[in-house]
Amino acid sequence: MSSWLDYTINGLIVGNVYALVAVGLALIFGVSRLINFAQGSIYLVGAYIGWVAVVQLHTPLPLTIIVVAVAAALVGLIIERFGLRPLQNSVRIAPLLATIGISFVLDQLVMLTFSPNPRALPSQLPDVRFQVGGGTIGPLDLLIAGVGLTSALLLFVFLRYSKLGWAVRATAQDRDAAMQMGVDVNRVNQAVFGIAAALGGVSGMLVGMYYNQIDTAMSLQATLKGVVAEVVGGAGNVPGAIIGSLLLGLVESYGVAVFGTSYRNLFAFLLLVVVLVLRPNGLFASARQAPPEPLTGTFIAPSRPVRIPRWALLVATGIFAVLPLFPVSFYVLQTLINAWLLGMLALSLTLVAGTIGQVSLGHAALLAIGAYTSALLSLNLSVPVGLAIIGGGLMSAALGTALISPSFRLRGHYVSIATLAIGEIVSLVILNWESVTRGPIGISGIPPLALFGYELVSPISIYWFSFIVMVVLALLQGRLLGSHLGRSFRAIRDDDVAARAYGLSLNRYKSLAFIFGGFAAGVSGGIAAHLYSYINHETFNTQQSILALTVVILGGLGNVVGAILGAVALVGLPEVFRVAAEYRILIYGIVLLLLVRFRPQGLLGTM
Amino acid sequence: MTTSAPEPLLALSDVNTFYGQAQVHFDLSINVGRGHIVCLLGGNASGKSTTMKIILGLVKPRSGEVTFDGTSLLGLSTPQIVRRGIASVPEARRLFADMSVRENILMGAFVRNDRTEVAQDLDKMLALFPKLGQRLSQRAGSLSGGEQQMVAMARALMSRPRMIVMDEPTMGLSPLYVDRVLELIRTINQEGVSVFMVEQNASLALEIAHEAYVLQTGKIVLSGSARALKDDPRIRDAYLGGSEAA
Repeated sequence: MSSWLDYTINGLIVGNVYALVAVGLALIFGVSRLINFAQGSIYLVGAYIGWVAVVQLHTPLPLTIIVVAVAAALVGLIIERFGLRPLQNSVRIAPLLATIGISFVLDQLVMLTFSPNPRALPSQLPDVRFQVGGGTIGPLDLLIAGVGLTSALLLFVFLRYSKLGWAVRATAQDRDAAMQMGVDVNRVNQAVFGIAAALGGVSGMLVGMYYNQIDTAMSLQATLKGVVAEVVGGAGNVPGAIIGSLLLGLVESYGVAVFGTSYRNLFAFLLLVVVLVLRPNGLFASARQAPPEPLTGTFIAPSRPVRIPRWALLVATGIFAVLPLFPVSFYVLQTLINAWLLGMLALSLTLVAGTIGQVSLGHAALLAIGAYTSALLSLNLSVPVGLAIIGGGLMSAALGTALISPSFRLRGHYVSIATLAIGEIVSLVILNWESVTRGPIGISGIPPLALFGYELVSPISIYWFSFIVMVVLALLQGRLLGSHLGRSFRAIRDDDVAARAYGLSLNRYKSLAFIFGGFAAGVSGGIAAHLYSYINHETFNTQQSILALTVVILGGLGNVVGAILGAVALVGLPEVFRVAAEYRILIYGIVLLLLVRFRPQGLLGTM
Repeated sequence: MTTSAPEPLLALSDVNTFYGQAQVHFDLSINVGRGHIVCLLGGNASGKSTTMKIILGLVKPRSGEVTFDGTSLLGLSTPQIVRRGIASVPEARRLFADMSVRENILMGAFVRNDRTEVAQDLDKMLALFPKLGQRLSQRAGSLSGGEQQMVAMARALMSRPRMIVMDEPTMGLSPLYVDRVLELIRTINQEGVSVFMVEQNASLALEIAHEAYVLQTGKIVLSGSARALKDDPRIRDAYLGGSEAA
């Protein structure tokens, strides 16, 4: 039986670990107004470098820490130099997308090198516990606290007394003015990435030792927790990030004490959403308004879209429609069915992210809502599958829009953070709401696809069903974009202040976009549920959200035909080239990186 | 040397600048003589601030040449240009709001490595701007506009520049501070620092300038000695035109 003091100590220790990640995020955000989604990957790399050092090289602990810090810093410098610096003059969303791509690549490289199986990371410290009041504390706790405090102190001295530290602070406050004082902002960026990566790497190693286990799932969790802590403390605010981290650690630890382990992350993300909605500047900022973000130029500018003649579209649709009549393999049909399902999700995301400019990183949640609704309707209430899928779409539209609506007042990067958090919350609610969702067991025995009482079991009928649904959704979306409504969406994306000045209600139009987008994604999730016959809280994960985003950027943001083309390309090409499954995510990450760098307008152009 | 036209310290020749499709400068040519105060006058959207940005390397012209002390500045980064001896007092001062006044002033000496002399220069600044002495540990963002202007000027001087470029140094200041700022610009200039300033307030600027240029929608429409321009009726016309265009 653990005492409250134990939970407090645990909260502070975990908070210290978060702080090492969050401080790096805050430094980077301060200097370049960028949320570095690759921070968790560096943390992962740090943990595995620590493993190599401890288990294979048998380095003593102090040396291990130094090795990890130096190696992680190098990774950070490489990311800055080759991943982000070339994007200096691109639109503001580009570096954010690049860090997502980098994190995919790093995580997959670690997974391919070390296998996805968890490994033990021994701490090399004696396993004793000291009695402190009513709780206990061990040497590793003290080490983590010591590393946290030492890092904070070193950082303070660096920022306060070194020339480079002054340059970092000056750049954070006014980049142009700092340049006019002779500050080389590239060097500042380098320094900040190096420091952030060193701290992140050490943090990953310490966590690995704390739980005596490391695995590749650590990466996303660390990024998310670091972002939560940083935003709670106020983006770019270094002391705020430390306090936000400790607060997050305590909230989680007490939450676990009261409700159980599976609630840990739910508290973290609820805290984030509450802070984002009520005080987007963080708990410690004096101003309550959202931090300044440029009004325009955040987004990838509309390019001249590739014009595809109507007859070509008709011919292509026709070819795909009659394809199953020819002797094609089951495998080809299966691949294309996946492409059509992803296409529906991409239609949804290209509307939300491309047309109205809300870059959602939690779109898989809409799939999950649609899938669970449809599955439960058909299983529990015996609703016919066709209607259940429509019900899934409607529920996704309603619930998805309701969940995101408090975040409508956010802009730019903050929208991405909020949607990411909402995506995680949906998954965690599914995990914990056992009476309805059956919790971690998932839902099995979902009835197969059926229409008007006829079961669709043959691949050909499933193919036609999903193809027709997608084409109908695409046609509807095409009509929508050409209408007055589509124009209003684009106006809000391009300049929301100007749009408001012309009398457009942002909330209403953002809601409409999410309702339409939510429906398409929900239908896709619903079909998938009946196709898979088994779903759980991890079926629709963040990886899918990012895959959808890559598809959408590949096709050209806002571009309906592009979304479908992107889906076919990303699902189809790895099949054509027979790429092994474990390399696919790596390829998606590389595609995202290359797109952002060389062709941000995508294949068919943004609209 | 008794050449009729000594080589200027800073020369912009035939500069054409574009923001996307829109042309901001049309064959802009400006010279700043050594030890002179040169003023660029113009209304809103005439291209004044862009001229500052061109000199500092924050914006690159599409064609033309910018030289400082005989060597080209094009292709140099802003920090490199600062190291050549050009300091700036940016528009709206742009102090580092959360840093102290002392830190702000010392940031001006970022390109220098001579610590003891920097410390001496800080004392010099406090003699030149006595009011800042009591404010040294205060947050720069908490100062009044006039005080911030003093900090911005002290900060610019700390790099021991050969030339200071100032973007609307009197903007938003009380009349008392306007006079003080102009007086200080004159003092700075008398110590050998050339000054290039951009101003909307023509009559004030022409009080202290040696030469002036009038910019209207990206073209120099008038230039000459400040004394001659002060009495030129076209100054007023150029101004009205500029304001209407804005």
